[in-house]
Amino acid sequence: MIAEIQNPGANSYVLLQLANRRFALPSAIVSELAPPVRLHTFPNTSPLVSGVIVRRGRIVPVYDVASILLGRSSSVHRFYLIARRTFPEGSEAGAIPVSGECELVAAEMQEASANTRPHISGILLVDGEPIEVLNFDALLTSGPARHNAPRPAEAQS
Amino acid sequence: MKIAAQEKGKTRRARHSEQMILFAVANRMFAIAAAAVQEIRSTDSLAVSANEIEYSEILKVRHTLERSHQTYYVVNAGAHFGLPITRPTLVLILRQLRVAVLVDRIERMAEIAAIHALPRAFAGEERRWYRGLTYLDDHVIPVIQPSGFLTTDEFRSLDRATNAIAAPRHLEGAFQE
Repeated sequence: MIAEIQNPGANSYVLLQLANRRFALPSAIVSELAPPVRLHTFPNTSPLVSGVIVRRGRIVPVYDVASILLGRSSSVHRFYLIARRTFPEGSEAGAIPVSGECELVAAEMQEASANTRPHISGILLVDGEPIEVLNFDALLTSGPARHNAPRPAEAQS
Repeated sequence: MKIAAQEKGKTRRARHSEQMILFAVANRMFAIAAAAVQEIRSTDSLAVSANEIEYSEILKVRHTLERSHQTYYVVNAGAHFGLPITRPTLVLILRQLRVAVLVDRIERMAEIAAIHALPRAFAGEERRWYRGLTYLDDHVIPVIQPSGFLTTDEFRSLDRATNAIAAPRHLEGAFQE
């Protein structure tokens, strides 16, 4: 699925694969699954931000959400799922590296229990498998311990 | 649901292109406006006019330079950006700021027509370090904010450190006279 997401419905979700786990994002905030493009990196001190990609002439920040969701950075990814993050001043596209196994599904979300982590909005049952629905904004503000030292990294292909 | 349509105006397109100096530190490339740089010298040529700051809280600044009756603080760009230690060979002496910057090498000059705003995702010190990002020859390069090398507090701290050194020298001179 390398395409712009068309006609998202209220119960429409994009399933994404991170390592061996699947998560879901509301399709309303997902704009596209981008092909593997070059990750450009430069010194910064922002938690989770591993660099930027250039997509359709725009510079899109890339978030290493695997460090939160899997407890480690995932080096195995093939594509970038681009979704919209909301800030007080407006919104901005952000990309998360995924392994490429993305799927658009329609399902009813069950509310998350009170003791669930804040970045989990609820649960979808897809073919009997419970899949956590991510709150993209909460996920990106619930980052790991802040790096004090800047995290420069090589540009990667 | 296209992003492009909703992000108009994020790219600050200059009316005229801007001449940039592309320089490298620890194999990372940065751009700085040529207009912000007064002079580029080799570290060897400035060795005699540099003074060591013995007690500085600002670890990225170890030396001062005297140029045109002004004291410039020499910022190690590698230390500033948290990059691996290298052996800088050049000093960029900035214009309108009492700052000189140690860098590894100059890559080249380039005309840059557009500077993209730093995405909001970048919320750390880099917001002070960079004016924005530019896309040149398939590379995204941060464009340096010259005033981001030292904060006002850091200038104050360095001024205190250098004045503390200068005072005894001044007294020493007075006694000799």
